[in-house]
Formats: sequence, structure tokens, C-alpha cells
Amino acid sequence: MPQPYKRSRSLRRVYVKVPGGKTKLHYRKRKPGKAECGSCGAVLKGTLRERPNKMSNLPKTKKRPERPYGGVLCSRCMRLLIIGKARSK
Amino acid sequence: MFWGDWRDKMIEIGRLCVKTAGRDAGLKCVIIDILDNKFVLIDGETRRRKCNILHLEPLKDVIKVKKNASHEDIRKEFEKLGLKARDTKPKQKTERPVKQNKRELKEEPKKKKADAKKKPAKKEKETESGIEEKIGTLEEKKKPKKSAKNAKQDKG
Repeated sequence: MPQPYKRSRSLRRVYVKVPGGKTKLHYRKRKPGKAECGSCGAVLKGTLRERPNKMSNLPKTKKRPERPYGGVLCSRCMRLLIIGKARSK
Repeated sequence: MFWGDWRDKMIEIGRLCVKTAGRDAGLKCVIIDILDNKFVLIDGETRRRKCNILHLEPLKDVIKVKKNASHEDIRKEFEKLGLKARDTKPKQKTERPVKQNKRELKEEPKKKKADAKKKPAKKEKETESGIEEKIGTLEEKKKPKKSAKNAKQDKG
């Protein structure tokens, strides 16, 4: 019988090919949820979904699109916001 | 998105715009040239580049700018408006600090010590040779004087 924490589904299961040639079950922590747009709630594109230990080692440009409000708002909401600002002035 | 005729009417050389898409979004620019019914050339706070009309939000102001005006002319015009045109400096080459292995760093002072040790070692050798010479001289003393004179000549 596996250990109790391995019996719950709080850990995700990954089949890993071991150097000896066997495929074994490994238990890993689950990834965080997908990034969402701050105004409309759509799933953001171009954003990574990794655990913090991997995210901290990556450059900023790989984690979010390179534009104002990148990684916070979706492109459509950002465009509407900028157009609104330009017209109000 | 359908914008209607007003957008086409507003697109003209010298029209101030705000870019609404991409890296330069939210920055102001001027239309310099009209390339197509879709594309225009822009410059200003943004990079000097070709741009789709749909990615621009035209403003009410129009500047007096010649067709295909240079970046410096546009910078002067922008200074009048109180805006800063984009300056792209050529990258200055910076010398990267050469990585040194920790081992080498540790070994260097040792080497110096080794050198320091070697020098006295050399001296010792010299002294040894000196001793030999002394021995030689002693032997020479034992030998007849002619051989000693020859040895001195060799030294000279």
C-alpha cells in the first residue's frame, strides 16, 4: 500500500523513464492556475504556468508579453483602455 | 472591427496619433508617409516603423512635417509640443569581467610562495655550487697551482 499522501490526488502523477529503463510513477506538486485578464477574466496568452522555483530563474520576457499591461490585461482590454485615455484628453 | 470613413479621412501626413498595439502601445507618434490604404510610416516617441492604420488612434492635432522627414526634424517638432522623441543610442561595448576560477585564484598566491621558495632554492643551489667550488678550490689547492690558474681563467 502506498503512503497516505500518495493516495490522495493533491499531487499530480508523472510517468518518468528511469535510467535503468523502467517507467516509474513520480509524484509532483500541481502547477498554479492560469493567468487571467484583470478586467474581462479571459485566459491570458503568452504567460507561463510554472512553479515559483522555475519562474524565478527565467527572464521576464519569457513570462509575459512585452507591451504595456502585459501579463495583467488581455490585448483587447489594453487597447480599449489606451484608446479611452487618448480620446478623453 | 469596422471603423468607417472617418478614420481614412483623418489619416494624413503630420497627424499626431497614439499607438494602440504592441510594444510601443500608448506612445505618441506622427504620420510621415502614407504607403498604402492600410499602412503608414510613423516616427516620434515610438520607433520609426511601418504601421497598420488600425493600430493607430488619431488625435486632433496636426503638425507641419514634410513627407519622409528625418528623425531629427521630428525631434525638434516634438520638443515644441513638450514631448520627447525616441533616442536610440548605439550600444557601447562594455568589457565583460573575465570569470576566474576559484581554484586559479587560490593557486596564484601559492605560486608566488612557490616562486619565493624557489629563489632561496636557487640560492642554495648556488651555495651548493659555491661549496663545490670551494671543494674544487680545496682540491685545486691540493693540486699544483697551474690547474687553479686555468680554472680562474675559465671563470673569467
